[in-house]
Amino acid sequence: MLLFWSNPEFVRHRRAELRRGRAFTVAAVVLVLCVLIGLAAWASAANELEMAQIRSARFGRPTQAQLFEMQQRLPSEALQLFYRSLMYTQAGILAFWSLFSCAQAVSGERERKTWDFQRTTRLRPADLMLGKLLGEPVLAYFIVLCCLPIAAISGLAAKIGLLHVLSAYLLIVSSALFIGLAGLWLSSLFESRSRGVGLIGTAGLFAFLALSFNFRVSELPGLAGFSPLAGLPQLVEPSGSATALPTLFGAQIPWLLMSLLLYMAFGAWIALMLGRNLKKDYEEMRPLSRWQAVGCAAFLNFLLYALFHPHPWSPPDSHSFTTFIVIMNGLIILAVGVATLAPHERLRIWWCKRGAHEATLLSEDGPPWPWLVLSAVVAYALLIWGLFAWRRVLGFETSSLSGGAIQMAAVLIFVTRDVLFLQWCRLTRLRAPLIKGALYLCLYYIASLVFTFVFSVRSEWDGRIVYSLLTPAGALDGRSYGVHFPVGVFGGMSLQLIVVGVLVTLIIRRLKRPPLTAAVVGD
Amino acid sequence: MIQLSKLRKEFGDLIAVNDLDLMIPQGEIYGLIGPNGAGKTTSIRMTCGLLAPTQGCVRVNDVDVLGEPERAQQYIGYLSDFFSVYEDLKVWEYLDYFARAYKMSQPEIAQRIEEVIAQVGLEVKRDTLIHGLSRGMKQRLGIARAIIHQPKVLLLDEPASGLDPKARLELRELLRSMRDQGATILISSHILTELEGFCTSIGIMEKGRLVRTGRIEEVTAEETPTRIVRLRWVGDSAESVRRILAERLELSNISLDGNGGSFHFVGSDDLLAQVLATLVSANVRVTSFGEIKQTVEDLYMKLSQHEVM
Repeated sequence: MLLFWSNPEFVRHRRAELRRGRAFTVAAVVLVLCVLIGLAAWASAANELEMAQIRSARFGRPTQAQLFEMQQRLPSEALQLFYRSLMYTQAGILAFWSLFSCAQAVSGERERKTWDFQRTTRLRPADLMLGKLLGEPVLAYFIVLCCLPIAAISGLAAKIGLLHVLSAYLLIVSSALFIGLAGLWLSSLFESRSRGVGLIGTAGLFAFLALSFNFRVSELPGLAGFSPLAGLPQLVEPSGSATALPTLFGAQIPWLLMSLLLYMAFGAWIALMLGRNLKKDYEEMRPLSRWQAVGCAAFLNFLLYALFHPHPWSPPDSHSFTTFIVIMNGLIILAVGVATLAPHERLRIWWCKRGAHEATLLSEDGPPWPWLVLSAVVAYALLIWGLFAWRRVLGFETSSLSGGAIQMAAVLIFVTRDVLFLQWCRLTRLRAPLIKGALYLCLYYIASLVFTFVFSVRSEWDGRIVYSLLTPAGALDGRSYGVHFPVGVFGGMSLQLIVVGVLVTLIIRRLKRPPLTAAVVGD
Repeated sequence: MIQLSKLRKEFGDLIAVNDLDLMIPQGEIYGLIGPNGAGKTTSIRMTCGLLAPTQGCVRVNDVDVLGEPERAQQYIGYLSDFFSVYEDLKVWEYLDYFARAYKMSQPEIAQRIEEVIAQVGLEVKRDTLIHGLSRGMKQRLGIARAIIHQPKVLLLDEPASGLDPKARLELRELLRSMRDQGATILISSHILTELEGFCTSIGIMEKGRLVRTGRIEEVTAEETPTRIVRLRWVGDSAESVRRILAERLELSNISLDGNGGSFHFVGSDDLLAQVLATLVSANVRVTSFGEIKQTVEDLYMKLSQHEVM
């Protein structure tokens, strides 16, 4: 028996959603829809032939011989269209259903107050993960299972080839599993109060996966592999698609392989996060351990260099490449910071232990900022390696390294400030402190933008000074080379270092406050 | 057996449970009582591994709940006050799900489901969708779920809410029979009559601390060394009774009214028997003579300061 088939969580979903009556109804509906799609495909192919016959009668083109050939090809054309339609429909249904059912799996259980009972069983996080991943969208998998024989037969009849049919299904199922896993992770991050935010996040994730298809024309074309739409056309059309292949370290690989690599690599990180947290209390969840977070930052940096594919006719220079990598690292370090925020009680314990010399700055429950510095150092080391590896395309200039160091320092200081602000929010009694903290930060950046515009009216120089003081944009605007950055950039870094110091002081003051020896929560 | 050592839980800058030490031996039914916000639910959630303590240790059946959660879970049955069930499953399917989730062996699952369904009186609803069950029946199903894997320790947080009087009696009987089979039960409630005549030990919690704990008789004896005795008689013996009682030094607060009354007594059962014998030998026709037992509610009202922040 397959491992998942006897998984209690999967069995629960299978029993609830695939009762005999419903299963027969779904199978019948699928059959009817397949017939309708088949008729539509035939009608479309026949219509094309009819139009060709009209053009032939009026203009003599296509010729009778070509028309005869088209008539001969009509069943095959119709079958191909039918097969393509079926495959795209299945991919769409499975991806959409997986994401939206898994994205409510844990938060929904929390809201229904059934989650605690699952947590008190002997099911391991991996059991729960597998059961929910396959169980929540079990109806969608059943629909695909009903479609499978029809699609496979039509694909083989349309001379698509068994390997292509199997590969297409592999891509559809693996993308659905990855999307479901991502949905499950999102769902674990939200509770009933913030479930709305979770749904917005789910919609955002769906949009990203759908639109990531457009990365294929960027300098990181491999990221398009997140979308099954990048690889599917190649597999469902007999002649394959004309889309350019993605590259890995400059070597072209098939889209299917790229998608599978991305799904496996990111899926493994998501599975690790779920495995660590699925059975933990909501307040005690931390996506990754500190070292894992640094490892994740290194992985993401490594991926950037692996997927990088410069336009052959206009490759970037090392300065703009460095700036791009630093900007990406701004986002990566911010993600590391959010993943390493310490819960209030854990930070307090760390503070007490530190007082007794039992804990260090790098302890698991300590503040997040040392790990941001470590991530930035790792990122900078990988930048040196990346520039060296791509030196033939980008050119290796030492001024890029020195400029990159200053840019990285600027980004690190600003991100540290933001992460410490979020950490401080977490120590207050704010409800949903992370979401509120993030909103305050958004407000801050919008206000900075407004100030920049206001001062730009007086002179462009003033505008630059303002945004250099308030945001890291001054160091990243691509106008400076080597160590020759405007004074505003260094002024901004100094100013933000002072803010960081203030935030650290505020956090320490919070930690020093004696706890109240009374309970008002929990019952 | 449940053992909580120096258990502490902080939520932000609030201490919900403050260095709680508690040892509940096997076969006890321990009632945890206290006002809302005292830390009862937090303590129970830490005991069953749902909440990680800020510090301290929880051991259930000699297994560290934090260190070996999966192993510990096989010994723990848990039921919370407000809970829900999977409405789209049938009663037996729901229990089958949890039996599998507790990793019971396949052959024993079917038999155990039938046993448990019979224990909670849901035989006629075995194949009914849970969606169609009443609130009380769902509560019974919750209890069935908690005991499906024959746990050695049952943690029940307000288990009787939503049950009708008959079901409450049945719940008591069920828990007593589980205790007789060697299970240890920790039950929290603020409806004190629920625990009356049923718990073998109690703990009174306030502000995250246990203010008093022990077997009910011990706590009662400690807290009320003075016993209140009520008596009734027939005939015109009021003066004789007053005289006899007033002569005895171990009696106080004598209050007589018509053909009955009460007094406070400090001393052994032998002394109390002598009082009765004296009354009878003085030709007082005593119809009733007995001690007024302290209820859990009386104890709680006496011991508790009713403090929450």
